Amino acid sequence: MKFNMTLALADKPGQLLRALEPIAKNGGNIVSIIHERDRPVEGYVPVSLVVDFPSHQSFRNTINDFRSLGIMIIRSEELVEKVRLTFILIGGVDLKKIVESKVEGAKIIGLEASTPRLEEVTVKLDVEIPAENVDELMEELKGLAREQNVILISPIYP
Amino acid sequence: MRILLVGFGFLGRELAKALRNKMSLLIRIDSDFRVVGAADSKGYIYSEDGLNIERLSGITKLSEHEDYKSGREAVELINRDLCDVIVEATPTNIKNGEPGLTHIRLALSRGIHVVTPNKGPLVLAFRELMSLAEKNNCDLLYEGAVAGAIPIFSLARECLQGDKIIRLSGILNGTTNYILSRMFFEEIGFEIALKEAQEKGIAERDPSYDVDGIDTACKIVILANALMGRDAKINDVERSGIRGITQEAMSLAKKSNYAIKLIGVVDKRLEVSPKLVPINHPLCVHGTLNAIHLETDLAGEITLVGYGAGKETVSAILNDLITVLRNRSGKSPKKS
Ligand SMILES: NC(=O)c1ccc[n+]([C@@H]2O[C@H](COP(=O)([O-])OP(=O)(O)OC[C@H]3O[C@@H](n4cnc5c(N)ncnc54)[C@H](OP(=O)(O)O)[C@@H]3O)[C@@H](O)[C@H]2O)c1
Repeated sequence: MKFNMTLALADKPGQLLRALEPIAKNGGNIVSIIHERDRPVEGYVPVSLVVDFPSHQSFRNTINDFRSLGIMIIRSEELVEKVRLTFILIGGVDLKKIVESKVEGAKIIGLEASTPRLEEVTVKLDVEIPAENVDELMEELKGLAREQNVILISPIYP
Repeated sequence: MRILLVGFGFLGRELAKALRNKMSLLIRIDSDFRVVGAADSKGYIYSEDGLNIERLSGITKLSEHEDYKSGREAVELINRDLCDVIVEATPTNIKNGEPGLTHIRLALSRGIHVVTPNKGPLVLAFRELMSLAEKNNCDLLYEGAVAGAIPIFSLARECLQGDKIIRLSGILNGTTNYILSRMFFEEIGFEIALKEAQEKGIAERDPSYDVDGIDTACKIVILANALMGRDAKINDVERSGIRGITQEAMSLAKKSNYAIKLIGVVDKRLEVSPKLVPINHPLCVHGTLNAIHLETDLAGEITLVGYGAGKETVSAILNDLITVLRNRSGKSPKKS
């Protein structure tokens, strides 16, 4: 699992190496690193890293190690891989139910409807969702479609 | 080898013409190649020395032939071992597989090779028939049964021997693809597109077998069993057809660079349903074309596109027949 971290390192030699040590020790794999040496702010240089850790625990251990080394952490968060999926629903869709559906991290980012007649409304829905929750979203939408007697057209490879 | 044509309908007749045109090739592969008989539902013609292929390819009904024996059945010829290969091209029946299932079972159990475009027996009894073929040391080849002229099984058998197929998806029904393509390009509704397909002879008067996805589901079952080691049955397929697809839905899809296609998928799912296919995806083919997209562990992605029905299907049947000739001529399974 990947994490985004921004550290503030003192603008003196050897600080970057010192910061990388806990990452290596906890099994982290550095995916990218941006060291903005020409942009020191009050004697500190921001370093942005993307690190692939084997577990949440190894990430937390690294943060603790940073703290005990006195390394300042400006930001740290898990990078969630998101996918965008398009669906088309045909029939008397109850949009409220869809909007209220509770799949974690799912966000409706686009909605378009064409209405020849209300009971036959056709809706296109663009959803952004963490990749790991796609199956859950598919099940949820299939269930809603079945319940409401609506035709669900989903992406070929969700 | 002695060939018996069981079923002399559209494909049987087209095959007879192809055999006539390709006879010198066939004789080169097997100097003893001859078509000894042809049967329909009401009788057969048979000659141990081989039928005159010129004459056979010139008739539209077997009963026009001077040697037609009416009231006789193909099973008699199979039972008496009067052939080495049958081409089983009787109508598809997915309820009980008959009459094809009886023909194929009987042939294989007597060590007679089988080439067939008939889905019914394969959908209902794939594992049974394959093990019967193996036990009796004979070939059971069925390239024409799925996606007509597209050589999907031959490709997998010959060219992907070390690959594992992880996912298979495809447009496997030309009728529904024609209807959906007309809706996509002409912006017409389902009913009008269906009517047009019926007038052109692309859709049957009762279109349910195609438009409700049953035909595609049958093909998905055969593909899953033949290429991905499954033991799938037709009821395992989650299926929905294209009847409810509206013109508005197609327009909304098109505006976002998708087409709606009836797709069969085998992965952890076994599913047939209308899907949104990006218009630049290799599966996004139009008209009556079929397409199969494979994802394998070594080759990555492979897509085959071609005609899934019509006289092009003869290509698949003839290739199967030639495969049997190359594998077996001069090596009778009964003697080995
Ligand atoms: N047509 C295609 O493009 C296509 C493509 C791929 C696969 N297939 C499959 O290939 C098979 C043949 O298709 P087709 O279009 O040629 O069908 P078809 O035109 O309906 O011909 C079927 C033939 O089988 C004969 N038949 C029926 N019962 C029989 C029996 N008990 N013994 C011997 N013959 C019997 C029929 O005889 P009568 O004439 O006496 O009724 C007819 O000659 C079907 O399973 C079909 O699904 C077809």
